[in-house]
Amino acid sequence: MNHLHFIWKNMVRNRRRTVLTVLSIGLSLFVLATLMTVLTELNREPEGEDTHLRLVVRRASSLGDRLPEAYAAKLARVPGVRIVHALTWFGGIYIDEANFFANFACDPDTLFPVFPENRIPPEQLKAFQKERTAAVAGRKLIERFKWRLGDRITLQGTIYPVDLEFVLRGIYTGTDETAFFFHRAYLEESLGRPGKVGTFWLKAASAADIPRIMEAVDTMFKNSDAETKTETERAFQLGFVSMMGNVKTLVAGISSVVVFTILLVTANTMAMSIRERAREIAILKTLGFGRRRVLAILMAESAAIALIGGALGTVGARLFFSVVDVWRYTQGMFPIFIVEPSTILLGLLLSVLIGLASAAFPAFRVSHLTIAEALRRVG
Amino acid sequence: MAIPLSYNLRNMRVRAFSTVMTTLSIGLVVAVFIGVMALARGLEEAFVATGVPLNLVVLRQGSQVETSSVVTRDSLQVIKYLPGVAVDSEGTPLVSPEVIVLLNLSKRSDGQGSNVMVRGLFAKGFKLRPQVRLVAGRLFRPGLREIIVGRSIAERFQNAGLGEMIRFGRSRWRIVGLFEAGRTAFDSEVWADASELGDDFDRPDYSSVLLRAENASALRAMERRISDDRRLHLKALSEPAYYAEQTKTAGPIKILGSFMAVMMAIGASFAAMNTMYASVARRSREIGVLRVLGFRSGSIMLSFLTESLLLGFAGGVVGCLLALPIHGITTGTTNFRTFSDVSFAFRITPDLLLRGLGFSLVMGGLGGLLPARLASRQPMVDTLREG
Repeated sequence: MNHLHFIWKNMVRNRRRTVLTVLSIGLSLFVLATLMTVLTELNREPEGEDTHLRLVVRRASSLGDRLPEAYAAKLARVPGVRIVHALTWFGGIYIDEANFFANFACDPDTLFPVFPENRIPPEQLKAFQKERTAAVAGRKLIERFKWRLGDRITLQGTIYPVDLEFVLRGIYTGTDETAFFFHRAYLEESLGRPGKVGTFWLKAASAADIPRIMEAVDTMFKNSDAETKTETERAFQLGFVSMMGNVKTLVAGISSVVVFTILLVTANTMAMSIRERAREIAILKTLGFGRRRVLAILMAESAAIALIGGALGTVGARLFFSVVDVWRYTQGMFPIFIVEPSTILLGLLLSVLIGLASAAFPAFRVSHLTIAEALRRVG
Repeated sequence: MAIPLSYNLRNMRVRAFSTVMTTLSIGLVVAVFIGVMALARGLEEAFVATGVPLNLVVLRQGSQVETSSVVTRDSLQVIKYLPGVAVDSEGTPLVSPEVIVLLNLSKRSDGQGSNVMVRGLFAKGFKLRPQVRLVAGRLFRPGLREIIVGRSIAERFQNAGLGEMIRFGRSRWRIVGLFEAGRTAFDSEVWADASELGDDFDRPDYSSVLLRAENASALRAMERRISDDRRLHLKALSEPAYYAEQTKTAGPIKILGSFMAVMMAIGASFAAMNTMYASVARRSREIGVLRVLGFRSGSIMLSFLTESLLLGFAGGVVGCLLALPIHGITTGTTNFRTFSDVSFAFRITPDLLLRGLGFSLVMGGLGGLLPARLASRQPMVDTLREG
């Protein structure tokens, strides 16, 4: 006797019910996959071979305050520091506030060496470096606004009292392709050279140097007018996530409710279909099927239904978010939003478990019915 | 003639397992919906409730928030003596120049830093904000490096309690008082003397100016006058309008919440549909009997639809009850426009509960429609012959 065939026949018997259950589970798993991806993306580690060598220096008081430009030379002399890069959040608006994207004033010579995960054709890099008003932008950003090389782009300053006009000279590709970079010298000039920098990004010669550099930098500027806080890029990032509030608890809370909902829906379906089949199960038993085997067949059916729903939901989520650009709808919060294979796998595993758990009780009950009792039942 | 409601209720009781499962799953969806919306509502309300209608906020042109604004002392002199500015009992104009800085403090919950807005102001600033009242300690005295903090800041951040000291700028500041501002954005602020704060942070100018207009038309006139004056490079907007802009912070939460709720709701209505189909299938004989008794197919359809709506409604009530305990829980997030932390509480309002119930009825209705139609269309003779 082919059990798989038997399970399949049972699943397609009440096709409408199976389809509705699968869809219901699928939608819930879609939501679950989305939630899990929110957490994954917020905690996404910077990718690339030497990202772990990057450090961020900022004003200790708050990111809102800036550091003196003159710190650059002092930072460069700290042993173990290979590159010093000044990066300032400009926070400019392109035409309308709704068009939000990240834009920075940077040092064009060290931008790509510090962020080697971003790649740009050499001739575009050269064009960017030699023109004061030149800018480069990520591929995704270019596609969003249908920009072309040579286009003039104006950003209205919100933090700084200047509007700046740029010429697009380069398109970079990489992991996060949503940012816009321009010459810090241009910003400084239009502000009347205040000599201020938002953050300094350091690249260490080796991972072993990192603790020493962090210590040395913060000690050097201790008790000065602008004390610094130096941290790894990862810590800097996690700081931002923490600023958003207790996202983790929120997501975990909602996720557990979603899981519980799936459990209820599947349990209800299985209870209904098992109740209707009490007589048949009695017949199976008369034919010599053991209690365990009956239980296994019913649980397998439930697990299969949940698994199909889970696959639909998680794979559906992956496809959905590969088409829908979350970055545009979340005010730039998620430059990348990919449902990772690990998330899909976790979702599938969860659905199987839920399927098994939800069938356990009704299947256990019916498998324990005596044949006579079961046959007496009204369908 | 309509089939009595007691028939539906009795049936729901007979099939208790399915009823409970379906009700609960609808209830959970409603609870998630209400929960997420209560979060967004609380965040929005912290901003919406903040403004006093006759107050006018003056900022640098081009800046959207106080944290990135600058108003020079010269401009202040111009603004101060504009016609239409209200005066207090002593006859001096109700104008409050203020200095805003951000301060990174560590949260009690995870030790991570978040930026808190520090507002430097003079006595006039208190007069312009009647919603702020001191709940512990006393006001700061100028010249002593003293500050007062919003109660929720004291609760959520390390070293921010009454009597403690915080180091920022060039000094150590003692917290001498706690204030409450009726769930407005000021609850998330630290207040200090404007001159002291300006000194410590080398700010020769002010960040923003708040002033009171004599009446609504004076407010509009000043708004235009300040924004149009090319020498000032300033813009003015009413305080409620300024804070209404900040509610956009809740945007992503609302999008995420609605998206999830809709997806889950469709899923739950499928589950309800399953239950109702099973219910119809099991009762096909009863349906036949009802028809024989003279009930029309329309009544049968209505009866099944009612039952499904009842399921939904019960789920809605369960959902509301499940969500209620989160009301009032305080949390915080960063307003990325001002780059500063804002404390707020989950707010479940009656209209939110009503929306949750409405939502549950939609789920029940959608779930019941097709099964009810099926029930009403079964041929009488066949149904009786079955089983």
